[in-house]
Amino acid sequence: MPTKIKLHAGLITAFLLLLSFGLSAQTTITGRVLNSVDNRPVEGATVQVRGSKIATLTASDGTFSLSTTQQKVKELVITIVGYEPLTVPVNGSSIGDVHLAITTTSLNDVVVTGYTSQRKKDITGAVTVVSVKDMKAIVSGTPEQMLQGQAAGVTIITSGAPGGPTNVFVRGVTSFGNTDPLYIVDGVPGGLHDLNSNDIESLQVLKDAGAAAIYGVRGSNGVIVITTKRGKAGKSTINYDGYYGTQRPLPGNPFHLLNSQELANALWQADITSGQVAANGYPSSQQYGNGATPVLPDYITPGGAHEGDASVNPDLYNTDYSKGNIYQITRANKQGTDWFHELFRPAPIQSHTIGLSGGSEKSTYYFSLGYFNQQGTLIETYLKRYTAKINTTFNINNHVRVGENAYVWYKNNPQISYFGENQVNYDYREQPIIPVYDIKGNFAGSNGPELGNSPNPVANQIRTKQSRGNEWQIFGNAWGEVSFLKNFVVKTSIGGTIDNNYYWNYGYHTYENAENNGSNSLSEGGGYYSNWVWTNTLSYNNNFGKHSVKALIGTEAIDVYSRSVNGFRINYFNDNPLLQTLSNGDPKGQTNGSGVGAGSLSSYFGRVDYAYNDRYLLSATLRRDGASVFGTDNTYGYFPSVSGGWVISQENFMNAVTWVNFLKLRASWGKLGSYANTPPKNQFTLYQASPGSSYYDIAGTSNSTLLGFYAQQYGSPTTGWEEDRITNIGLDAVVVNNKLDVSVEYFQKSIKGLLFQDVAGATSGAFPSSTGGSQLPTVNIGDVKNNGVDFSATYHEVVNSNFKFNVGLVLTTYKSQVVGIPGAGGYFEAGNTRIGNFVRNKVGQAIGAFYGYDVIGYFKDAADVTKSPVQQDAAPGRFKYADINKDGKIDDQDRTFFGNPNPKFTYGLNIDATYKNFDATIIFYGSYGNDVINYTRYWLDMWASFQGNKSKNLLYDSWTPSNLNPKAPILENASTFSTNTVPNSFYKESGSFFKCRSLIFGYTMPASPLKNLGIDKFRLFAQASNLFQITKYTGLDPEIGGSSAAYGIDFGQYPNNQRTYTVGVNLSF
Amino acid sequence: MKRTNLKIYIPILIASVALLYACNRSFLQKDPIGSYTPSTVATKAGVTGLLIGAYSLLDGQGGAGGSWDAAASNWVWGGVCSDDAHKGSDPGDQPDIVALMTWSESSTNSYNEAKWQTCYDGVQRSNEVLRVMRLATDIDPVDTVEFSAEARFLRGHYMFELKKIFNNIPIIDESVTYTLDNWRVENTSDAWPFIEADFQYAFANLPGTQSEVGRANKYAAEAYLAKAFMFEHKYGDALPLLNDLINNGTNAAGVKYKLVDKFNDNFNAATKNNSETVFAVQNSVNDGSTAANANAGDVLNFSYDPSAPVSCCGFYQPSFSLANAFKTDPVTGYPLPDTYNDVDLKNDQGLKSSDPFTPDNAIALDPRLDWTVGRRGIPFLDWGVNPGFVFVRNQASGGPYSPVKNAPYKSQVGILTDKSSWTAGYTALNVNLIRFADVLLWAAEAEVEVGSLDNAETYVNMVRNRAANPAGFVPGSPAHYFIKPYAAGYFTAQGQDVSRKLVRFERRLELAMEGQRFFDLVRYGTADTELAAYVSHEVGSGYTLMAGATFKKGQSEYFAIPQAEIDASTVAGKPTLTQNPGY
Repeated sequence: MPTKIKLHAGLITAFLLLLSFGLSAQTTITGRVLNSVDNRPVEGATVQVRGSKIATLTASDGTFSLSTTQQKVKELVITIVGYEPLTVPVNGSSIGDVHLAITTTSLNDVVVTGYTSQRKKDITGAVTVVSVKDMKAIVSGTPEQMLQGQAAGVTIITSGAPGGPTNVFVRGVTSFGNTDPLYIVDGVPGGLHDLNSNDIESLQVLKDAGAAAIYGVRGSNGVIVITTKRGKAGKSTINYDGYYGTQRPLPGNPFHLLNSQELANALWQADITSGQVAANGYPSSQQYGNGATPVLPDYITPGGAHEGDASVNPDLYNTDYSKGNIYQITRANKQGTDWFHELFRPAPIQSHTIGLSGGSEKSTYYFSLGYFNQQGTLIETYLKRYTAKINTTFNINNHVRVGENAYVWYKNNPQISYFGENQVNYDYREQPIIPVYDIKGNFAGSNGPELGNSPNPVANQIRTKQSRGNEWQIFGNAWGEVSFLKNFVVKTSIGGTIDNNYYWNYGYHTYENAENNGSNSLSEGGGYYSNWVWTNTLSYNNNFGKHSVKALIGTEAIDVYSRSVNGFRINYFNDNPLLQTLSNGDPKGQTNGSGVGAGSLSSYFGRVDYAYNDRYLLSATLRRDGASVFGTDNTYGYFPSVSGGWVISQENFMNAVTWVNFLKLRASWGKLGSYANTPPKNQFTLYQASPGSSYYDIAGTSNSTLLGFYAQQYGSPTTGWEEDRITNIGLDAVVVNNKLDVSVEYFQKSIKGLLFQDVAGATSGAFPSSTGGSQLPTVNIGDVKNNGVDFSATYHEVVNSNFKFNVGLVLTTYKSQVVGIPGAGGYFEAGNTRIGNFVRNKVGQAIGAFYGYDVIGYFKDAADVTKSPVQQDAAPGRFKYADINKDGKIDDQDRTFFGNPNPKFTYGLNIDATYKNFDATIIFYGSYGNDVINYTRYWLDMWASFQGNKSKNLLYDSWTPSNLNPKAPILENASTFSTNTVPNSFYKESGSFFKCRSLIFGYTMPASPLKNLGIDKFRLFAQASNLFQITKYTGLDPEIGGSSAAYGIDFGQYPNNQRTYTVGVNLSF
Repeated sequence: MKRTNLKIYIPILIASVALLYACNRSFLQKDPIGSYTPSTVATKAGVTGLLIGAYSLLDGQGGAGGSWDAAASNWVWGGVCSDDAHKGSDPGDQPDIVALMTWSESSTNSYNEAKWQTCYDGVQRSNEVLRVMRLATDIDPVDTVEFSAEARFLRGHYMFELKKIFNNIPIIDESVTYTLDNWRVENTSDAWPFIEADFQYAFANLPGTQSEVGRANKYAAEAYLAKAFMFEHKYGDALPLLNDLINNGTNAAGVKYKLVDKFNDNFNAATKNNSETVFAVQNSVNDGSTAANANAGDVLNFSYDPSAPVSCCGFYQPSFSLANAFKTDPVTGYPLPDTYNDVDLKNDQGLKSSDPFTPDNAIALDPRLDWTVGRRGIPFLDWGVNPGFVFVRNQASGGPYSPVKNAPYKSQVGILTDKSSWTAGYTALNVNLIRFADVLLWAAEAEVEVGSLDNAETYVNMVRNRAANPAGFVPGSPAHYFIKPYAAGYFTAQGQDVSRKLVRFERRLELAMEGQRFFDLVRYGTADTELAAYVSHEVGSGYTLMAGATFKKGQSEYFAIPQAEIDASTVAGKPTLTQNPGY
């Protein structure tokens, strides 16, 4: 293809310049590679001189031409994913036609693990290899969302928000703090969140100590090892991968809300039930009058006004604070505003990546540019990200190689807050009679009588339009390796991260809400985070007869430093955010601040892998970590592991069992650690000054304060290493003509000395939960136990060369139990809401268990109240709580554990098939057996909670003397212990679900007509996300994350089950 | 370098540098940048700062609690739990207050927890001054006494707060620390002697005049000591101190104690720290704290008219009974302690702002009413005439009245209020912990118990005469204000029981909505009967949220010790802290 090479030459000049090393006498070997099923050419296979790095790729007609300076080439090794590797002897300058057998097993795939790589069949630890292709069938900008259901042993709870939060639990919840696994990208600790998924070549999850102990103290939450794409020697290719789609908000009335008249009717019913009526016996309302039935007004501000009233004269209108009192005139929306679909709207999503790769025997390169833009269905949320990746390798000679991996990204990602009262919470609270805009087109809101206190969520979001947050990062490393004395390789890598962020948020002086901001304001700030990582390894590889030995020793040093700064001013003279800077704001009420952090880690590690006759495998690792976060007594920790494997299928007695192609039993034991939940200065007792917490106006000036200090934290110099002891037993099998791969493993993980913030009484002067009080240090006193089973199975069938399919099933189970918690109480609470904490993490209970009063029904009548245990505010139609301790009265002692947010199992099912040029993929995901707290019911199913909108349940199916099995308690205007003031099991619902995450149909153009255009591959596809979800949950979506100490509480969330339709292209030249 | 050498030298070089670096222990020693270690603050300047830090928790903000849940004003315990006020707002907003208001809270009530934690945080910040002071080398002995005296004064204050709310409390002096792990202290000893000792020390060692008006002086300490005696019913011990305060006391600026001419000057940020101030929480606005120092404790307690800049959040609504209490006898100008609640003062309950309403402008009223209770038809400070319904958040479940004493003037918005946070109700108004009227009325009480009824009458009349100053009436009010001091000899003629009732009633009127009433009722021992009458009256007037509420004598005088604290105090399976009776 000389013309094409010429075409590309310009693009890759920069790289070629770097490769201009001198040439010497050359040997050229040619041949053609075909597949053994139908003799079609195999394109893109790597043809490599055995024992060297000299390689090339086959062209689209299967031919190759390999030039080498080596005098004598004995053998070529031909490899390509999907085929069995083939070793071909070389006699002369051509090997002629060779045939590759299609592989149905991935056992020979080389998998990158900790600091080394291994053939999959030699692995003795628990390693899940994720199919990057299936992962990419999920449309998302964040790779960890794509991982859901794709990796046995990994539980993922995520959100529909662009760039939204994700809980990643590798083998259950192992910490009350950060549960993120360690992400190693091309050998350097980094992140997955902002990687361009098109740059990912492979992704492995290291789950047990056998696999992860080489990462020592950072391995406790599991390790995810990501390798990005590299160029291959041979021809250069250009790839384009892109899609465009539309995301559809949930249809209908997903919160089952009332319309304007219905809400007024509910008010009447509540007032009548509660006896809150005027002299004429009817309820009285500024908005709805004082009659037998409520009458919707024409205007809600001024409250209850009608057309023609003097009070609605537009001349009175004012929403400008500088011109006097606010006087808003707002027409009632008598039909009712569909706030859900005012806030959630259809939104586009698109992704484009151009990749360029290639190389020669001297060097390879991979270069990509990516653009991702997902507009959120929740207005004014989006993720825009620009990425660039450059990976290069240079073979300076046969012994010395150098290279680099560099990744740069820049993004804008405004988000709403999650897991608390947020825009979605406001969205279902805002009353339907409130329109989005008033008579003059300004925002309308709750600023009239009886309109509740929710802010207008649409206004809130639209007002963020001019605010920005941007972040960019450079991540990567430069490395060099030298092979010497035949069996040794020494490698050094210096890498790291530089991350910068900057934001400015303009806040408006709102006028339309019941509770308004006191002023407009601008907050602006930025920060940076940097680390460097220096890793050095020396490895040894040798085979003596039937013995195979691999050994590795290494050192690693990591240093982290970060700083941030912020400022805030108010009282801008106009509300044009584009004109405002901090300098223009009012210095009265200004605030500013900065923060700083630092830490370091220094480590040694070693690893030995031994195999006898490919049958008995043994591996041991040891890591010694030193961390700056611990005091001098406990600076260093040791993390060993041993693992072994027995390849039973290699035994002679298995020869007769022909249906078993491969069978391996493996076991491991070892220790991992964590220091992630330890603040960097944990060992020190520290004092601090804070304007809000310790400054004081001792001179009585009313507008200034004097410097004050307070003890910000108590130190713990003795805090040391958390040890996670993990035992793992696994079985890998390939059966039935290599068609079915099965892997099953059982693990037990017990965490000793879990790093956990100490718990003490207030008399100690410190509080674990405080914002401004003295913090307690992290100490080693929690214990958690996890066990579970990971299962995966893949069935591949090649029916004929036209039709192939794969079916994959992944199943993850875990049980996370709290074994020890500091403090004699043996518990701590989390999951705070307006009515208290829903979660108690207590010894003997599952992590995150829901705790409160157990509702056993409703009081039927006065007689029922009398004969039941004594309960505060007991009355007909209110909740009857279980008398757990049977003492005849309901009190604190009767609170109990009534729910568990942890699923019994999660599962993923992938089916993909190709028929001729067509391909199809369908991906299902489900979670079974988890409970969810539907806290939206506090707002919607209980009248007295707040004067926001309410649910259909409350108006039409709440308790009445003739409706004894209702969906909501009595509709009354009273807030009581027996209804809405304490956490109870009324809010619990099943969180099980099953959904079709993705369905893709693709069509690849036949190769021949495209050839003339220089196109190697052209595939079109159409994709649909979340076509259906089966669940009994009554809220938006039962998939609800949170902190690792409290998750599964639905405040109103950004749903992750919205349909998305996309079309896309994969193109390569 | 030859290539063969390269492949030997490079590995050796890398290996040696790597090993050297990894062995370098100092690489792992990171100083705690961005914070101060104990040695940094163990200087005179550092201890000065720690003392300010101990003062800064007086406002209840910045410690363990939130803000309104640990408010300095005690509006929840002293106000809502007494006959002063309803919770207000929507019935389900801040549900933990409903439980407190109906004396039915559980031991997990978040308000009790926040108050407990914040006060002990204050105790430990005071202790921190004492501890670090002893490590400093540049402090001379005079300063040491001054630091000690102010720190012990503050510790006394925080312990007093705990004592009056929880009664059975652990005594935490400076020997108790997290570091020594000796903080699990029993709550079985009476804390009064400890509190008295702190105030005694402060009284003996503090100067009369301080460089800054917000500091405690010797008279503030003396007043607190007297207050402790009053709570202990040691009237004989209290009286000499109270007499000394009345005769010789000065505020921290050295100004002799005197009632200010206008009653409302005590509740106006522009006239704070006046001759009536004995000890107050200093609040400040626009000071770079994002309103954290701006009386955050009372931020919810404003009217709810969204067109007015202060529009949050409709809590702490004065009760029907409280408004009624300000009726006066149209002939004598005296209060009506026996009959005030027979008929409710005319109000707009059940009426919308658009419905016609005129207040009863004929009935005789104590002028302090309209500085205490916001009601329809009366000017609300300088915000204009109170429009009634739209000024309260949820009239059906909160009643018709709004709080006034903590509200800012319209003319002060942005100057003595802070606009940098989520709502406009952040003010520079101080919280009066003790004001001179308080001292006079204690003196009157003590005189009734141990001394002369004439003296008691004199003190009460000082307070009434000030209230009767027409210059201090609500400007532009259409109400008929009619208040007279008691005629000379009236107390003696009526006898001790009536005098006692009149003194207590005067205290109720003068200090209404200042977070004192509940503690006074408990101190008098009449909480059960008075609050039972109150509940039945309020429910009868339409405040159904209190239906069924019962003050349980022997239990409800003190609040539940937070369960989390009891649990945390457990040693070998047995809690160190004992729950209060009845919880």
